[in-house]
Amino acid sequence: MPTDVENWKSAVYGNEIREHLFRFAAEGYDAIPDDERDAWFERFKWWGLYHQRNGQEGYFMMRIGTPNGVLEPGQLRVVGEIANEYATGPGRNPIFGDAYADFTTRQSIQLHWIELSDVPAIFEKLEANGLSTQQACGDSWRNIVGNPVAGKDGQEVIDAWPVIRELNETFKGDDDHSNLPRKWKVSVTGSADGSGQGDINDLAFEPAYKAIDGEDVVGFNVRVGGGLARNEPRFARDIDVWVRPENVPAVAGGLSALFRDNGDREDRYNARIKFLVDEWGAEKVRETLQEEYVDFELHTAGRDVREEYTYNTGEGERNDLVGVHEQRDGKHFVGLNVLVGRMGADDVLELADLADEYGSGEVRLSQRQNVIVTDVPEADLEDFLAEPLLEHYSPDPSPFMRGSVACTGTEFCSLSIVETKNRQVRFARWLKENVGLPDDVEEFHIHLSGCTASCAQPQIADVSLRGMKTRKNGEAVEALDVGLGGGLGEEPQFARWVTQRVPADEAPGAIANLIDSFAAEREAGESFRAFVDRHDDEALDAFVEPEETDYEDPMLHNTKMTWYPYAEEDAMDAAPPAPADD
Amino acid sequence: MSDRLLKVNAYTTLDLVDATARGHDFENEALAVLNVTAPRENPDHVTLQLELDNAQLDSLPAHADEVTLSATEARTLADALYSYADDVADATER
Repeated sequence: MPTDVENWKSAVYGNEIREHLFRFAAEGYDAIPDDERDAWFERFKWWGLYHQRNGQEGYFMMRIGTPNGVLEPGQLRVVGEIANEYATGPGRNPIFGDAYADFTTRQSIQLHWIELSDVPAIFEKLEANGLSTQQACGDSWRNIVGNPVAGKDGQEVIDAWPVIRELNETFKGDDDHSNLPRKWKVSVTGSADGSGQGDINDLAFEPAYKAIDGEDVVGFNVRVGGGLARNEPRFARDIDVWVRPENVPAVAGGLSALFRDNGDREDRYNARIKFLVDEWGAEKVRETLQEEYVDFELHTAGRDVREEYTYNTGEGERNDLVGVHEQRDGKHFVGLNVLVGRMGADDVLELADLADEYGSGEVRLSQRQNVIVTDVPEADLEDFLAEPLLEHYSPDPSPFMRGSVACTGTEFCSLSIVETKNRQVRFARWLKENVGLPDDVEEFHIHLSGCTASCAQPQIADVSLRGMKTRKNGEAVEALDVGLGGGLGEEPQFARWVTQRVPADEAPGAIANLIDSFAAEREAGESFRAFVDRHDDEALDAFVEPEETDYEDPMLHNTKMTWYPYAEEDAMDAAPPAPADD
Repeated sequence: MSDRLLKVNAYTTLDLVDATARGHDFENEALAVLNVTAPRENPDHVTLQLELDNAQLDSLPAHADEVTLSATEARTLADALYSYADDVADATER
């Protein structure tokens, strides 16, 4: 039997949701019948709208999908203006203020406190400027990710940006692929650094060479079935296919159709293609793709460049794209650290001005929640780097600032059980002031996820933090499970979970003690990931050693029970009413 | 130590309870996750899930226990829980 969600999708889904969305926007939030809310909220996701959590009735998160994280000249300003005008609500964040934009781990943008009545005006403005929320959430092709500096990167094997653009244009709004059994996350990477993070996507295209008629042709190897959620993380599996750039849409469409026709529509927990790959094996995926979904002979896999991968690997150069890097054309891209991916709307506007003044006006978003200003000429670099805004969004931040990634958390999310973004800011600031890494260790990634859904990609960090509860002095307090030693690269590896339920206020002390042990006991030049690798769980658990310090955590109480964690009157019964229609 | 087997999010029934794993020759006290759920579609049973934190289990491998209950059994259990909860509440008030 199909699920409720499948039944709702059968009735209304895809492009047609838009007219209903606009109807409700005109008639008012209350026009959505109570018994149809679950169905409509599920459908709205397809147009990038998520209803916020309990206590925030009538307010939505809006996700803008920016393919490969590319914001063309002028688009960042549009995002800042929309954030300023519409992304404000009854709750004020004590660190980030009233209006802000979140840059996500999938190179998208999220705004909060959006009211339904404002959606048509926001869509009009977005679309007039080449931006869209279409398929940003829901069961279809999500925002396509990759190396954000595709087409500009000096380390590129092949320019993936035209391929990504074509995939986006082909599969956004395509009715044949608009209703899949579950989300469909695609990564296309053309650089040799692994910054597209293909291994954790449903479908990954990675640069590879294939000898054809005596010539080395550059194209992509294909991997299928990666993903982190549901305590069931998987790396994408090699299906032994190499594809020419011009054939990527046919193969990607074939695999999307294979998933559409064969994915599990009876159990959403089992629906992602990673479970189909578990069941079938990579070989059957390849055979079925060849026999039923493409009309040309597939090549076997080519020679990949995985041994050169550095992004999020825990060692070597270029673990992220922060800092000044030379482009192919001699100009520079400058990666700026946006702590936990959140930037105040006024700062967004100021950055848009700076991108215009010093670059081409374009900016790009990375999967580490950072922003990259491209096309800065050598002659302007010094002045750009001296801009006051870059003191806060630094191209050369502390390892603890640049290594921090956090999901949305209990501030807005229905799933999270702990506060995340502000907590990660406090953690990073405390670690920066109080903890030193060995001199030769320049990066240290700490990812904080509010629950097992894994939106902060906790399993691929040096230190993985995941929301839990524990008891301290007789009171239930927010806590974190701790995992260590995850990362991507040629041989990707998920973190090993070593310590459970560390009270959140003792987590910075735990990380400090862990780093002390690492510094004292590492072999010369050893990376943290390698250090973790050669210790057993018991030893690692002992290194973690939770401890109270002068770090103070104002959000230790059960924030999921509040209507908004930072409100003065935060109890659920103090929640504001749904916004009035205006 | 292994990852948790049960997913834990805001819909989890109880993410923090005290539990004990007891055998003839061992006793492990641990914090635990206790969850009640049913299939989202065409539910034909209730599942009660219990997972003790495996970091605190010396005598057992990481595991979760699941009990499958019919609707009648689930109600019997609920009645018993209510009844004993009343006893506890009454005793606490005294």
